[in-house]
Amino acid sequence: MRVSLPGLYIALGVVLAGLIHVVAVLTLPMLAPRDAHARLAALGPANTMIQLPAAAPGQQVMPMMAPDVRYAVCRYDLSNGPVRLRAEIADELWLVAFYTPLGENYYAVIGADMKQPVIDLIIATKDQTVAEVGVDAPEAFDNVVVVSSPVVEGIALIRAPLAGPSRGAEAERALKATYCGPHKSSSPDPSGP
Amino acid sequence: MDTNRLTSALPNSPLLLAPTQSTAWREEEASHSMRSLAYFVGTFVVALMLGIGSAWYMIERGSTLTTTKVGPWNGWISEGNPSADPYTRAHVARSGRLPLTSTVARYFVARTDNAGRSLRSDCEYLIEGFPLNARWWSLAVYDEYGGLIANSSQRYSFNSEEAIRRADGSFRINLSRNARPENWLPSGTDPNRSLMLVLRVYGSRDTDISGIGQIPNDRLPKIERIRCE
Repeated sequence: MRVSLPGLYIALGVVLAGLIHVVAVLTLPMLAPRDAHARLAALGPANTMIQLPAAAPGQQVMPMMAPDVRYAVCRYDLSNGPVRLRAEIADELWLVAFYTPLGENYYAVIGADMKQPVIDLIIATKDQTVAEVGVDAPEAFDNVVVVSSPVVEGIALIRAPLAGPSRGAEAERALKATYCGPHKSSSPDPSGP
Repeated sequence: MDTNRLTSALPNSPLLLAPTQSTAWREEEASHSMRSLAYFVGTFVVALMLGIGSAWYMIERGSTLTTTKVGPWNGWISEGNPSADPYTRAHVARSGRLPLTSTVARYFVARTDNAGRSLRSDCEYLIEGFPLNARWWSLAVYDEYGGLIANSSQRYSFNSEEAIRRADGSFRINLSRNARPENWLPSGTDPNRSLMLVLRVYGSRDTDISGIGQIPNDRLPKIERIRCE
């Protein structure tokens, strides 16, 4: 059968356009070369806390960064085990947000909601068990929150919104004291008995 | 019906193929299959443009499904949310940002004034703000690509702790190239710049049933153009 009806081509065109639209929308997040994870990976290794330079003209790690927020980031990689994140909350405005490489904010700790000014977290995948920590350090474990990461590689981002003018240096000092690194559950605590 | 118009709009490529392939067939049959192929290629090209174009528009600019529009302010409803729709996810990945989920913070972007005219650095604007029921907010100005604009006073934003406010909590921010009294937000020295305002609201105290921070429509700042050079 010979196809010569223009209507058929229009119908085919619409169906094709729809398919291409769907494929483009679904694949674009994976293909975006300058997504946040790629930008942060250029700053340094995984599993360390890296302070981002204060946003200034021509000096922005990510577009549309807030000029009155100071940031510290830990690009975590859980393939060698869970990762520990500790931060002393200098200000109740602080926010600690956890992201997948695609920028999905899957979990957030809000400074104002904390009962105590210290954040102590273990980031682990669903398969990784951190239960033995409780045996090793029972007195500390009560305050430790386990964040179940849906991804092996992700991002933890601390935001320190400035509570006023010329508070930048203070926020940067407080961010410097935050920690991110591998969580060694089996090795004994050197400071312990 | 309009077969002629369709044929004339087709690319010329089938003609180039014709001499080599038509030898195997009778002339007439060959021209038919060539025409079918040309139709198909043409349909495919049009479909490709439509598909990519519509996807680009809905990812870059948003649609009523993914954004809320209040006056000049646009906000992506489920930005940063892990259960966000594919358009929002693609938008976030493409932007290179790490937005907080809408239950923690809300972002509003304005590229125009309240009358719908594009924000430009050769114009002067009065931004009239109203009290926002939130833990912290900040209004910052960027160029159209999301970059901060260099200025001698190193002022890129006003936040809830910095803006000079009136007794009723309202505030006025002057967005202009030249210095202004009260809250002056400089738009740089280049007069040919498109501007973008971003309002970020952290810890909104009014939330909807799913915990998404709600900002009443009449509380978003009004952007009024005062004069242009």
